[in-house]
Amino acid sequence: MTHEPTAVTTAAPAVRTKGLWKIFEHDGIVVEAVRDVDLTIERGDFVVLAGPSGSGKTTLLNMIGGLSRPSRGRIEVDGRDITDLTESRLARWRLDRVGFVFQAYNLLPVLTALENAEFTMLLRGIPPEERRSRVEELFAEIGMEGLEGRRPGKLSGGQQQRVAIARAVVGEPALVLADEPTANLDSKTSDGLIDLMSRFNRELGTTFIFATHDTELMRRARRFIRLVDGRVVEDERRDAPA
Amino acid sequence: MSRFLDGHAGVLGRLALRNVRRQGRRSILTSLAMVVGIGLLVFSRSMADGGHEDWIDAGVRLGSGHVTIQSPDFATRRTLAERLSPTDLEAALAAVSDVGREGGILETATRLEVRGLASSPGGALPVVVAGVEPDVESRFSQLDERLIDGEYLPDGDELAAFVGVDLAERLDLQLGSRLVLTGQDAAGDISGQLVRVRGIFRSGLPEVDTRIVHVRLGIARDWLGAEGSATSVALLLESSSLVDRSARRLGQLLADVPGADVLTWPEAMPELEAAVRMDDFGDYVFHIITLIIVALAVINTILMSVLNRTREFGVTRALGMTRRDTGAQVMIEGVLLSAVSGFVGIVLGLAVTWVFFRNGLDFSGLMENGMEAAGVIIDPVIYPKFRLPTLLGSVGFVFAIGVGASIYPAYRATRIEVAEAMKFEA
Repeated sequence: MTHEPTAVTTAAPAVRTKGLWKIFEHDGIVVEAVRDVDLTIERGDFVVLAGPSGSGKTTLLNMIGGLSRPSRGRIEVDGRDITDLTESRLARWRLDRVGFVFQAYNLLPVLTALENAEFTMLLRGIPPEERRSRVEELFAEIGMEGLEGRRPGKLSGGQQQRVAIARAVVGEPALVLADEPTANLDSKTSDGLIDLMSRFNRELGTTFIFATHDTELMRRARRFIRLVDGRVVEDERRDAPA
Repeated sequence: MSRFLDGHAGVLGRLALRNVRRQGRRSILTSLAMVVGIGLLVFSRSMADGGHEDWIDAGVRLGSGHVTIQSPDFATRRTLAERLSPTDLEAALAAVSDVGREGGILETATRLEVRGLASSPGGALPVVVAGVEPDVESRFSQLDERLIDGEYLPDGDELAAFVGVDLAERLDLQLGSRLVLTGQDAAGDISGQLVRVRGIFRSGLPEVDTRIVHVRLGIARDWLGAEGSATSVALLLESSSLVDRSARRLGQLLADVPGADVLTWPEAMPELEAAVRMDDFGDYVFHIITLIIVALAVINTILMSVLNRTREFGVTRALGMTRRDTGAQVMIEGVLLSAVSGFVGIVLGLAVTWVFFRNGLDFSGLMENGMEAAGVIIDPVIYPKFRLPTLLGSVGFVFAIGVGASIYPAYRATRIEVAEAMKFEA
């Protein structure tokens, strides 16, 4: 079934889920990874999804990012219902509206740091001059100057994750989804990256949603959501700025 | 161009090219398999085309020519009753003259052939006696080049006969021996002619060396009472590629001459055409097997490369590439690999073939006793021949391999589920 996208309304929250379920079935074994999640995340928020392994954090994040489809329920992101978008429209929507940061960095090894950072802009057909100036400006801000021509294999873990963050935010998406972005990093590097993402959140107004076990990231979150067995068991808004 | 390379297609092309280079050793090994396969294809096709051209050349020289003009029923009955009358022969020669060198005609041989019996004190054997014009025939059939004793129908000797070595042995003939040729003349009577052996040849074909006797056209006409007529006018062309055009033109010119039929060599010698086709078929089977092996190597390389990059494809899809983009990237990788390897393979094939252009490839060690196909002596030295359709076919094969071998890996790449792929450990 194809579904015409609803118009984007500026007053809409960044994310709204309604009765969201994700059920996996494999060899007759049924697993309810996400169960009846109703969630509204405001624009510009800095949200952490926490919970033990297998609690459904990544599954929820994947559904919000359009990487997998819910078994039941609906998802609106930035005022647009993405539940029934076709695969190609969903891909285009991700390209335009969502940035991803992964635990394993997931930079493309055949591209340089600069090319990785500008990858989504390349796909969007943004002119080279504009791409380069945006990436170079961003690289200067995140301390990656002079490393533009290096391939990921020649960068440290922290540097790779900086490039991944640059790739996620350079297209100025409405939403950045980060799955365990600091899990492979030492605490110092990790703190630096949290600062970086916090700064982008404040300066660009980009909504960040993290799935994490990182206590420092949890401490910095303005909203803390705990999942257990696929259900939201705690949803706490904090006054402390990110 | 730079705008294109910088756009969406350019991203896919860049990713594809770098991934091919990234799998350096694997790409080189696959590429080598393709280079050898395609090179072998070009070389063996060129050799086969050259060999077949030799077969056809040898066949048409000893037989009916590239194109032959004869009575419509001569091909099946082969008696003098089905000969070209003097009027038809005159019309045929006029038509040939009209087409001329511009139509690619190199030689025109007027022949009067009859089946008969050759008798000597040593015995009698059935033969085909051909009355020929020695000057023309020596250039046409080149049977005189197979001479092993005496000379080919010498000037001034109207009763000279040129016989094969097997016939000479079986009838106990030597140079100067008398031989009586007996056959049915134009009036339907049995008529004999005494001739003397002036030359003996060895073609290597038992059928030819036992059965063919050449005499002068004049004495054949006198003996058989067929003054001014002939059983066929055989034409030798510059190339077998001119056959259809020349035959069509002659057919138009002789449309009003019902007694003269224009036949191409495949029509006049269907067994030779069948032999060429059979040999071609064998070659194609060999080539297809080779190319399937090459294609499997390419499929294996690309498929392994796709499976190893499941996570990467998941990342690119997560970042906004569509399934179609992913499939296109893999297809580009396969076509790139094939195009580069195919180009090198074709160049290699042409280079190897080129080496044999001057002196040919000598198989005489493998065919010491000679070899024949469809009544044609196969020259043990094969000279390659480049034909544009063959080269274009090779290019087509390369393209087909590239596209064909990439389809399944590309399909697999498009089936990757993003969320699952992100869990994949590379």
